[in-house]
Amino acid sequence: METRQQGLTLFSAILVLIATLVVIQLWLLAASVDALLAGQAVVLVPTAAASCVLFALSAGLLWYVVSFDERLKQWGPRG
Amino acid sequence: MPGPADRPRWVDDFPIRWDQDNYMTRRELAKFLTLGSGLLAGVNVILAAVGVSRQPPPAPAARIAGVDDVAPGGSLLFRYPTAEDPCILLRDASGAFAAFSQVCTHLSCAVVHHAGADALECPCHKGSFSSRDGRPLGGPPTRRLPRVLVERRGGDLVATGIEV
Repeated sequence: METRQQGLTLFSAILVLIATLVVIQLWLLAASVDALLAGQAVVLVPTAAASCVLFALSAGLLWYVVSFDERLKQWGPRG
Repeated sequence: MPGPADRPRWVDDFPIRWDQDNYMTRRELAKFLTLGSGLLAGVNVILAAVGVSRQPPPAPAARIAGVDDVAPGGSLLFRYPTAEDPCILLRDASGAFAAFSQVCTHLSCAVVHHAGADALECPCHKGSFSSRDGRPLGGPPTRRLPRVLVERRGGDLVATGIEV
């Protein structure tokens, strides 16, 4: 597999991973609303913490992509 | 290769100029999703803060009934901790007492107890709960009934709190 194709696969995989994390966060939010309405406050703090961890993972993956682009810009186009 | 004469008429009904349209790149979508992820995390933190700050104070002790007011296998309705919280006191055949919120955890109908039965039933959607610990036995409910803590003080039964 050529390098460009590898890069496309990598960025697509990162995108799918971030989308999966967002879907899990949506599920956590639904569970939180359910717990709040049921008066089960004990569930709310762990779900909020888990959601923050998932956001940190998403941000980390995005930071990887952005830093990759920055490194590419430093080298400039192949000439 | 198809020429202009082959152009189907329905194409004119969709005047999309693909050359002027904006495509979203993978990077833009990743940024958008991460922004959404941050918003979801923020909403979750707000919900947790609201839930923790809205925790009701411990319910005060209140007399429910006399020990002899409920026959073995029978039940008694009461309100606890406020007049807007219906509850049900049960006495099994051995004479042990248990009390639960009467509000079904499915859609808030009032659960009922039939004399001698081991279950509380919700007449709305045929949900049922154990009369021992309030856990759901059948039907739509998935959460157990909140349990009212009951103490025996002399000849009285006293509610001392609620266990969700």
